[in-house]
Amino acid sequence: MMEFFTKTNFKFTGAMKFNFTLSGIAFVASIVLLIAHGGPRYSIDFTGGSVLQVKFAPSPGISQVRGVLEKGGEAGVQVTEFGASDEFLVTLPARKGAESTDATRVAKVALDQLHQAFPNSQIDVRRTESVGPKVGGELRTAAVNSVIVGVFLIAVYVWFRFVFRYGIAAIIALLHDVMLTLGIFSLLNLEVSLQIVAALLTIVGYSINDTIVVFDRIRENMGLRRKESYREVINRSINETLSRTILTSLTTFTVAVVLWAMGGPVIRDFAFAMSFGVFVGTYSSIFIASPLLVWWSDKQINDKKRASPAM
Amino acid sequence: MNRSLQMKAGLCAVIILLATYGMLPTFKALSISHAEREAAKANPTRLAQIEEIDSKAIRRGLDLKGGMYLVLEVDQAGMDPNQAADSLKRVKEILYNRIDKFGVSEPEITTFGTNRIVVKLPGLQDPERAKALLGKTAKLEFRLVRQPEELTDALARLDQAFLGDKPAPVAADTSLAATDPTELAQRPFSGLLVTQPGISSTPMFVPEEDVERIAAMLEDPRALSRLRGVEFQLGMEPVTSGARKLRPLYLVDGKASVAGDQLTDAQAGADHEHPGMWMVNFSLNNRGAREFARLTGENIGRSLAISLDGRISSAPTIQSRIAGSGQISGRFSNAEATDLALLLRAGALPTDISIAEERTVGPSLGSDSIRMGVNASLVGSLLVVLFMVVYYRVSGLIAVAALTANILILLAVLAQFNLVLTLPGLAGVALTVGMAVDANVLINERIREELRKDKSVRAAVQAGYHNAQRTIIDSNLTTLISGIVLLWFGTGPIKGFAVTMSIGILTSMFTALVMTQVITEIMLLNPKKQSLSI
Repeated sequence: MMEFFTKTNFKFTGAMKFNFTLSGIAFVASIVLLIAHGGPRYSIDFTGGSVLQVKFAPSPGISQVRGVLEKGGEAGVQVTEFGASDEFLVTLPARKGAESTDATRVAKVALDQLHQAFPNSQIDVRRTESVGPKVGGELRTAAVNSVIVGVFLIAVYVWFRFVFRYGIAAIIALLHDVMLTLGIFSLLNLEVSLQIVAALLTIVGYSINDTIVVFDRIRENMGLRRKESYREVINRSINETLSRTILTSLTTFTVAVVLWAMGGPVIRDFAFAMSFGVFVGTYSSIFIASPLLVWWSDKQINDKKRASPAM
Repeated sequence: MNRSLQMKAGLCAVIILLATYGMLPTFKALSISHAEREAAKANPTRLAQIEEIDSKAIRRGLDLKGGMYLVLEVDQAGMDPNQAADSLKRVKEILYNRIDKFGVSEPEITTFGTNRIVVKLPGLQDPERAKALLGKTAKLEFRLVRQPEELTDALARLDQAFLGDKPAPVAADTSLAATDPTELAQRPFSGLLVTQPGISSTPMFVPEEDVERIAAMLEDPRALSRLRGVEFQLGMEPVTSGARKLRPLYLVDGKASVAGDQLTDAQAGADHEHPGMWMVNFSLNNRGAREFARLTGENIGRSLAISLDGRISSAPTIQSRIAGSGQISGRFSNAEATDLALLLRAGALPTDISIAEERTVGPSLGSDSIRMGVNASLVGSLLVVLFMVVYYRVSGLIAVAALTANILILLAVLAQFNLVLTLPGLAGVALTVGMAVDANVLINERIREELRKDKSVRAAVQAGYHNAQRTIIDSNLTTLISGIVLLWFGTGPIKGFAVTMSIGILTSMFTALVMTQVITEIMLLNPKKQSLSI
């Protein structure tokens, strides 16, 4: 029989202070990064603007393409290689005060410029996306709302199935995961698009899954081991579920990393967010959510006389 | 075998059979090669068969199939809620008519909110043409051209309107227009115009370089407020005068004498006056024909402008009383004339629309995405399978069987309910595999725990499933919450992800809790079996 992590007895709650500090620093660092960068780097999904994905045969090289479009005069145009050296992503931010239809027109103008400048290259328009600034603003509001509503609903469910403070601990762990993911995106200067918001919500769902498994075991052990202290019960519960937590995280993490490596450039950032999110989600389930319960009860009641066990 | 186990085993068998049946068209559709599809285009019966199979197979989203996703915004300025709701409905109907005739398979048009329409055109080849076709108002009007003496007054009024504006530089080689700055300051509008290069019914022309500027001035509220009962409209096409291109500018009635909603038919036809060019022949209904006959009968000798979306295609002089039909000649190409006829037949939009969001994926990217998405999903799933079998051995194999069933059921649900598989959706399937093993891991770890307490195999299995059940339900329901929120928030490809994830959670709960238990219990029916490979 192959086994990892059986009969472990790590003192997860012992390292509580260290982990809280670590996470606190990461959390604050994420916020500082976001503020320093003026918020997340929103993609055109949220700011309005256009994206053109074009494939050249033969490719004139990125500097040529960039030169043509920068000379073309559209302010803030960006050209990056996309997955291959003959394929480029052209990003055209929305003009100030632009009408909704302008975005599509700007994309067309840029494409015409490329056709004119490189008559000997075949240009395959692989993808165009244009979002009017108004729609972009609405999508941004919807995205922020959805993450908030998602986290809130999950907390309410946890509160309903367990007790209030479990819900709070879950919320804190989830916000931690979301903020750290946004932080790493800010650090690596990656764009936050609709796909990334979807990844954030999935991370939230995934992370809470892990947390619930531990909570569930805590609840069960509360009933079974009335002689142990709250702290002991929580430690035991994390240890008992540890092999499961690691195994599941490993499989999901593996899939996410494979998607990142092989799934193609269109979903690369999404897969990256998922991989990172699975990692911090697992960490927060073990080191943040459950220890928070201990910390809370330490504050409220004397650890030794556990008045009434939760549930 | 006891009764409850029999029932469960029966249920599993039925569901797997149903799922397999539901997936048959998808497998069939996948087995039809590209060459075979091309060949079938010449064979209507075979083509119908293939379409029938495709319609029951899993639908691929625009990001995998290629196609266009448009969000159109309907201008509802000045409408009350009833009118606004009505305008949205009418725009949707008209767009549907236009697309229907455009020949895209499975177009989808839905309203969104109070003022938006979402159009999905899978497999579209020419996005620019589709956009032009959808975005045009196609408002056809007949307006009388005003007499030359009224023109002087109207021009003076517009000059008055823009007096004092800092004169913008005139196009460099505007030799015919007033280039003298002082003259332009005095006549800020008419100074930009060119007079009379020999065509009598159109007294004024605009140099092609200044067309946008004039168009903007004509829409300026100051200009609109000073013109009463009349309106300036630009021509659709420039005329050539020597080396220059000039755009005619007409002063026409402020209101249409006959409008295009009286139209019964419109067809593209050859333009005999301009060989090689095309025009559109139209006919009017009874009421329209009566009005048109009266209008032309009363105004013989005057010019009648045919205006399309506020631009004049031509302004022929009325020679005699005309009833019933007419032509629009704008020196169109065949495609342009065909599209215009189509637009006129489908009807004019009751209001302006603009493109608020556009996402187009070319077919080549779609097939690349499928290849990479499927490969990545397969490799990811394979790694998970390998891991499960190495770690849990026979129980791992059982979990893998459940996982396979899970994916089969998930895909069958997509096919059956006509849901769309997108690239993020494909990623969702792969992630579901990663997450679905969770339930199996939970159960197996529980059983191991019970075995460690020296329980008998059967008791351990029972206790394991029993204890894991609550955890599995709790943890999956919370994940489902985020899936549902995503479903509510997401559009397009994201929605596809939310759909596969949410269905995947539900199916994985079933396969892990019911299916694996059935298999394990059937294995344990053999009374000699005293151990479990787990």
